[in-house]
Amino acid sequence: MKRRDFLMGISTVPILGAYSIGSTKNILKVLDDRRVDSKRLLDIDQFDVMNERLPSSTGNEQTRIRIGLIGNGWRGESLLNSFGYFHPDYVNKMKTDGQYDRWLPYQKRHENLYVDITGICDTFDVHAERGIEVARNNIREERNTPEILSGIKRYKTYQDMIHSKDIDAVIVATPDHSHAQITIDAVKAGKHVYLEKPMCHSIEEAIELKKAVNASNIVFQIGHENRQQMSYKLGRELYRKGVLGDVSMIQTFTNRNSLFGAWIREREFDHLGNHQTIDWKGFLCNAPWHEFDSKRYFNWQRYNDYSTGMIGNDFSHTYDCVNQVFEIGIPESVMAIGGHFFYNVGIDDLPDVFNAIFYYPDRALTMTYDGTLKSGIYRQTKVLGSEATMEIDRAIMLYKDPNSQRYKDVAEDPEEPFYYYAPNARVGVDGITSATATSYFKSGYGPTFIDGKVIDATFLHLKEWIDAIRGQGKVSCGIDQGFEETVTFCLANLAYLHKKPIFWDKQNEQYFIG
Amino acid sequence: METKYSSRQIITLTVLRVVIGWHFLYEGMFKYIGGVWSSRSFLLNSTGPLAPLFKMWAQSDKAIHYIDVLNIWGLILIGLCLFLGLFERPAKLLGIILLSLYYFAYPPFSSAAAEFYADGNYWIVDRNLIEIASLLVLASFPTSYRTGLDRFMTNYPVRGFFNNITGGRLKNKLIPKK
Repeated sequence: MKRRDFLMGISTVPILGAYSIGSTKNILKVLDDRRVDSKRLLDIDQFDVMNERLPSSTGNEQTRIRIGLIGNGWRGESLLNSFGYFHPDYVNKMKTDGQYDRWLPYQKRHENLYVDITGICDTFDVHAERGIEVARNNIREERNTPEILSGIKRYKTYQDMIHSKDIDAVIVATPDHSHAQITIDAVKAGKHVYLEKPMCHSIEEAIELKKAVNASNIVFQIGHENRQQMSYKLGRELYRKGVLGDVSMIQTFTNRNSLFGAWIREREFDHLGNHQTIDWKGFLCNAPWHEFDSKRYFNWQRYNDYSTGMIGNDFSHTYDCVNQVFEIGIPESVMAIGGHFFYNVGIDDLPDVFNAIFYYPDRALTMTYDGTLKSGIYRQTKVLGSEATMEIDRAIMLYKDPNSQRYKDVAEDPEEPFYYYAPNARVGVDGITSATATSYFKSGYGPTFIDGKVIDATFLHLKEWIDAIRGQGKVSCGIDQGFEETVTFCLANLAYLHKKPIFWDKQNEQYFIG
Repeated sequence: METKYSSRQIITLTVLRVVIGWHFLYEGMFKYIGGVWSSRSFLLNSTGPLAPLFKMWAQSDKAIHYIDVLNIWGLILIGLCLFLGLFERPAKLLGIILLSLYYFAYPPFSSAAAEFYADGNYWIVDRNLIEIASLLVLASFPTSYRTGLDRFMTNYPVRGFFNNITGGRLKNKLIPKK
């Protein structure tokens, strides 16, 4: 081959050599430019909570805790799930759905808390029996021996359970109206309590419960598992470090648009509910007398006698998230208006559209709540600050204020957040507005991201309670946070019922109708 | 097909081949080095006749994984081949296929949705289509047997295979010296 032929053949090789050096350098530079230094951007020294580690294990064979569940409905069973107990039908469904191989390692990632579910109490026989079947199927450790299984008992009444020597602590996941009574009795019997939200059905009950818990030595936790959600911990840190500036307004929202969301629920076993299978008196507890009515029993969230509807079941979640971030506590006054327009009008009595304004003069801010059961549009909590607006849910998005001093060097873009926290979303350079990122934000509850792992937030919340019972650490949602939650949403409920502003007297812990 | 090029023709055609290779290679290397890139949102938002298929792929973690790997390495290898003039013919064919997929993910048929990933205004013809047309030109005027490594591979054993899948036999005789 001639020299000229050879040179022509390789003529582009030197260009490629130069190209490969230059292009790699350029790619690294571009990537570096795009990599935003969040600390410098937000003008903070460091991130604290994001470096948090999972709390270490506190349990062993000697410190086993025997837990009784009062109320094995939808939420009760999911709490058992968070402890690692699953109904065999659920496990089989995972297998037939082909999810088992992914699901089991996720479950096993959660620490063994060394708890045994030794008692189930429910006013509906079917739920109680199902609870027993769940409690007999621990998938996190080998506890399904005849000796252990024979210790799992059904208690006909909650009184039997709280006075049993075989129970150390109880989980209360009953309808709202019975929360206070059951918990006060359990506390007096010396049992530790994990109480589902909302804490109570009325302000009076909350005052009574607070007295009982404060007079005892038991460990009391309210089931607002979003206390464990990393986004709220980070939101709190960012706020305290001045990232938002002066916060003048907090807007909260809840939206649902389905019968299930409106608590009109037909579940698998409801048709089995009748005089024989339901302990109606047990269900009524201290509520006003009413003839047996299976609608009231299964859709209790729609009746003022047993629930506070949207404000107690939807807003209370959002409120506790806000309270966790800003520690706003109880407002000085509340105004609210709403309507019962759509579902079951004339039979049940709770609103499906609700607006409330909460007034916090001490904090120089107001908070609003807009909720509907007839629109499923997604809206995160929005916090208006003088430097930045924060949208917060399981993710955080910060938008620069047009008149911000702190972020005067940050490019102006009202459409795009200048900072976002969205673990697990596959957020690339352009990912923030993509369908993937958006759908991630839409899921409001569930797992959180901590220590480089995806962990069930409810599990962490239960673990916090269990650890505190063993004398390790404190609960994050105790009686004071629960009291603030109940008084706040009850003030709004009263304002709605009376169509008048309601005022809160902090010193005397009393409300006044304006 | 026997081709006889002037020096100017061979230089400009080689430049065209190299710049297209440059573009492919850079895009592939960027995605490879960048690490976080995924085709998911590109496919999820796609419009046009193939959108249902693309969206179905985007729903599956496994499919997305293979698509990402194939896309990145496809870009890199096609880029390298065009750059060096190595296996030019299959590289051009695969390049056209890949670009057609991009084109049909967001076909600029007057739909506003097609502007999702574009930074200009296009109707029927967009940059992908121009690059496809350029590769078609190169397919008619091959250069690698003169200014590429294919020059040394007139008898490489897989040639017959490539000729079979890419069409007729390539008679790349060197131009006789004057």
